[in-house]
Amino acid sequence: MEYQEDTLLFSEKTQFILVTVEGIIKKTDAKLFDWKVGGSIYDCHPFFEILKSLIDSFEKEETTYNFPCIHLEENNTEKICDITIIINTQEITVILFEYTSKYRELNKIAQQRNESVLKAKELELKNKYLLDKEEFKNNFITNINHEVRTPLTSILGFVEILEKTKLNFEQEELARIIKRQSIHLNALIDDMVDISKIESGKIQIVDQRFLFVNLIKGFDETYSKLAEKKEIEFSTYIDPNIQEYLIGDRTRVYQILNNLLGNAFKFTEEGSIHLSVTKNYQRTNKLSINFKIEDTGFGIQAENLERIFDRFTRFNEDKQISGTGLGLAIAKNLVNLLNGEIKVTSQPEKGTTFEVKLPFKFEVTKTTSQKKKKKYTLPETKKKFRILLVEDEEATQYLVMKILISQGNFFIDVALNGEQAINYLERRNYDLVLMDLKMSKIDGYQATRMIRNNYGDKIISEIPIIGFTAKIGEKERDKCLRAGMDDFIAKPFEQEDLLYKITKQIAKKAAV
Amino acid sequence: MKLSKKVVLLGHFGVGKTSLFRRFMDNEFSEDYKVTLGVQIKKKVIEMPDGRELSMIIWDTEGHTNIEDTRKSYLLGSHAFIYVFDLTRTDTYQDLSKDIDYLTKNYPKVKTKIIGNKLDLVNEKDILQLFKDKQIQFDCLTSAKTNKNVQNFFSDLAKEITS
Repeated sequence: MEYQEDTLLFSEKTQFILVTVEGIIKKTDAKLFDWKVGGSIYDCHPFFEILKSLIDSFEKEETTYNFPCIHLEENNTEKICDITIIINTQEITVILFEYTSKYRELNKIAQQRNESVLKAKELELKNKYLLDKEEFKNNFITNINHEVRTPLTSILGFVEILEKTKLNFEQEELARIIKRQSIHLNALIDDMVDISKIESGKIQIVDQRFLFVNLIKGFDETYSKLAEKKEIEFSTYIDPNIQEYLIGDRTRVYQILNNLLGNAFKFTEEGSIHLSVTKNYQRTNKLSINFKIEDTGFGIQAENLERIFDRFTRFNEDKQISGTGLGLAIAKNLVNLLNGEIKVTSQPEKGTTFEVKLPFKFEVTKTTSQKKKKKYTLPETKKKFRILLVEDEEATQYLVMKILISQGNFFIDVALNGEQAINYLERRNYDLVLMDLKMSKIDGYQATRMIRNNYGDKIISEIPIIGFTAKIGEKERDKCLRAGMDDFIAKPFEQEDLLYKITKQIAKKAAV
Repeated sequence: MKLSKKVVLLGHFGVGKTSLFRRFMDNEFSEDYKVTLGVQIKKKVIEMPDGRELSMIIWDTEGHTNIEDTRKSYLLGSHAFIYVFDLTRTDTYQDLSKDIDYLTKNYPKVKTKIIGNKLDLVNEKDILQLFKDKQIQFDCLTSAKTNKNVQNFFSDLAKEITS
């Protein structure tokens, strides 16, 4: 290519450089860079070192190479150029096309694009980290729950038994303290499990029809007794325009109100607590209800109000009031789950008011009264019923045996795992199996499936089985039922509940 | 005797190629992310243990999620490629073996080194275990921010490409 120094065929932003194969600049118009004729191109910028390898690889034909978007600097000034290099046998032509402003514009766009992608990745990573942390926490809580509930079951059960023995005043008092502390520990576990379930989205809202008026009456009865004990006033008001039966998640509504009332009672030493339930609005089959819980308790400082619903928040440490610090966090999370609203107002030393708005539905037609828990009695065909307890925990074995033997209607055999249980069932006729779920060798689910599927003998394959574990929740219950169990008891259990479920299963079996 | 070797930094955008480049060239680091457009080229003269001087010409290229999008002319005359990925972003190393295959197949004479950068943001033990489990090959883990392993990596590379 012939380079003509005198012509102005090319713009001011183009520079031509002729270089010898040794790298010496023969000619240049110095329009962009003031590189001197006679100097080495290799000293101009490290980019030009590329020429050495291009010359080395040159064969016979004239060859053109294009290098777009090369940052070249001279005297601290940067120019961004597209560079064309043409090599032939005699010389090398280097053409610089300067596009600094164009590339800087492009740079802005690329910067924005890359930054947004990086930001999204960063958020994705943070989210993943938080989810992992959350999952770890929830698994930890679930495991702790399981590990703590088993010994707690024994403690509570044995204290109940202990209370029924002859105790002197001091021993009675000590037993009461153990019981109170165990109940508190149990409540703490319940709260921790609840909050972890809520936060991990594992709580399902179940809409069911329930006697709403009774729910409020229940609070009236329970908390009136407590108010009497604390020598404070407690009153409730329920708007007569609210339907008797509502459709909603009774359990969660109960939990919310119970937490708020429990909180009010904890922090009110004198004066009164009032629960009022009023209708906000009603449209077709939907209505919104306002629950207001007012107390004349210690109150909360204004600066603490915004943290009131945080987990493990307690503001009255000096007042020696027991509590988990989770109650209000649970209430707030549950209100959110039910698509409701919760707010709090308070004046220190005057009292606090919590207001909760919750949506409900109702049936337009009137319905029959609430289904009562059916009563069961043991069949009169036998004097004693034989129960196989499959349980590896010594304390729980002893507790269940004490409870059942004290009734005078049961013989108990104990198997330590599923494998042993099957051996026992093959050798002896039983009326019911109490099956722990987490055991060595064959666990409770597997043993149940084997009992249901592997025996032609109906005495074995159709024996009532009650799952018996420290794990709680719908999922666990479903798992038990799917494995073929007839019912499920969560530890720690109440004696009455254990006896009711055993009686029910034996009675049902006898009725078949 | 003066030697000159061209080394090209490759990899996805935002993995820290420019940070490594600046750390090695000028011993500087900035938290700000500034996109690289095209290529920046700098030279660093290294004195080798045997007394020779090596001019290491480093080409810091713009990042691409697909190695095949890298401009071919940038790779001409290279003596080494440094493929950099970000230890905190799996998308920057999930196609690592494919990208390395592409480089070794198309540039068989060029040494290819793999760097996992941003070591300061991860737990080294965990990441080593993760890469062991996932059978991810790499040559060095670096932090341009703390300068961990950066100078040693380039010194070793200098020896390797001049031997």
